[in-house]
Amino acid sequence: MRIHSLIAPATLALILLMSPGASGQDSSKSASAQEKTAAPRRDLSGVWGMLPSRELSPDDKQSPGGEIPPMTAWAKARYDLQKPGYGKRAAPGGNDPILQCDPMGFPRILYFPTPFEFMQVPGRVLQMFERDHVVREIWTDGRALPDDPDPLWYGYSVGKWVDDTTFVVESTGYDDRTWLGAAGFPHSELMRLEERWQRVDRDTIHFTLKIDDPMAYTKPWIALARDFKLRPRAEIRQGYCVASEEQAFTKRIREPGAMNTGAAPKK
Amino acid sequence: MKKLAGPLPLLALMFFASALFAHHGNSAYDETARVPIQGTVTEFIWVNPHSQIYLDVKDSSGKVVNWGVETNSPGILGRAGWTRRSLKAGDKITIIVCPAKNGQPVAYAGSGDPGTKVVFADGRELDFTDKSTK
Repeated sequence: MRIHSLIAPATLALILLMSPGASGQDSSKSASAQEKTAAPRRDLSGVWGMLPSRELSPDDKQSPGGEIPPMTAWAKARYDLQKPGYGKRAAPGGNDPILQCDPMGFPRILYFPTPFEFMQVPGRVLQMFERDHVVREIWTDGRALPDDPDPLWYGYSVGKWVDDTTFVVESTGYDDRTWLGAAGFPHSELMRLEERWQRVDRDTIHFTLKIDDPMAYTKPWIALARDFKLRPRAEIRQGYCVASEEQAFTKRIREPGAMNTGAAPKK
Repeated sequence: MKKLAGPLPLLALMFFASALFAHHGNSAYDETARVPIQGTVTEFIWVNPHSQIYLDVKDSSGKVVNWGVETNSPGILGRAGWTRRSLKAGDKITIIVCPAKNGQPVAYAGSGDPGTKVVFADGRELDFTDKSTK
């Protein structure tokens, strides 16, 4: 009975599709619409910009977002020493490394509000960010992650396609001086990341991230899932942060603006 | 040739209205306020990550005060249609800004706070909306 009731409309649809009228403008329109939106096979190439998933909290600034797991004592001690220049703990005289143009590191750079570009070359996927014109190499030649990597600002990353549209990246070897966002959440050199980049259609990548850092957090930090949109007309510019320029900006605008706010007035 | 799907430009606009806020997010400015300041450009500094506009503004008592306005990086401004020559010393402009909460003559105008913009004496406007999304 139920099968029969399904077959009838399906047959009708098939007949309509095969009828001469359906082969005209309408069907070519829908075919081209499909062509426009289909994800290419094993290809992330292009310039991408992040869409927000929800209203972000102050802790989410330039951050993976999601529910931040409890910090270990080691991480809490670090967190207490970190004085953000942005967000709810912002105060004059902050020590956020980016205030002096130190490398933002990964994954924080991903959450900085400028686009990035994926480029695919033999053996590697390259991720080029506008901030500091950073190029992150993701090795796809089948190598394993190193057992005892040198700590690097942008870590050591290997990636593989697990199906025709999903690229999974594992990484380690991160320098622990970088912050997991502008609010000052720390990580250790033991941090391991697992990223999944799923190109759901031509214009969209669905991105998830798991941060596993037992030295800093009592359980894995599951980042807020994000979508990136293809930005066909955007180009990646050379967005270097230059310390001398940033210091001049701090002196002329950031410090006057921060005077007598947040911290005790200094008079 | 290839037109983007309908909702994308809108989504992209929403992205730039809200995600950029995440970077700026500095509590020094009153982001609920939009205040016009009128004056003569003295410097336009086109650098990363914070371009800056300085202008001489006459206050109510007639005294000239030099204001500093924080704005976006050349990358973000470029995608909004700006160039390094968009402003020059001597230009008479009005900028709609988010002023510093502490009353100092510094302010923010940029993509993080929609509604902020530059208006020239002849009525021409420069805003911070991304123009590269479609």
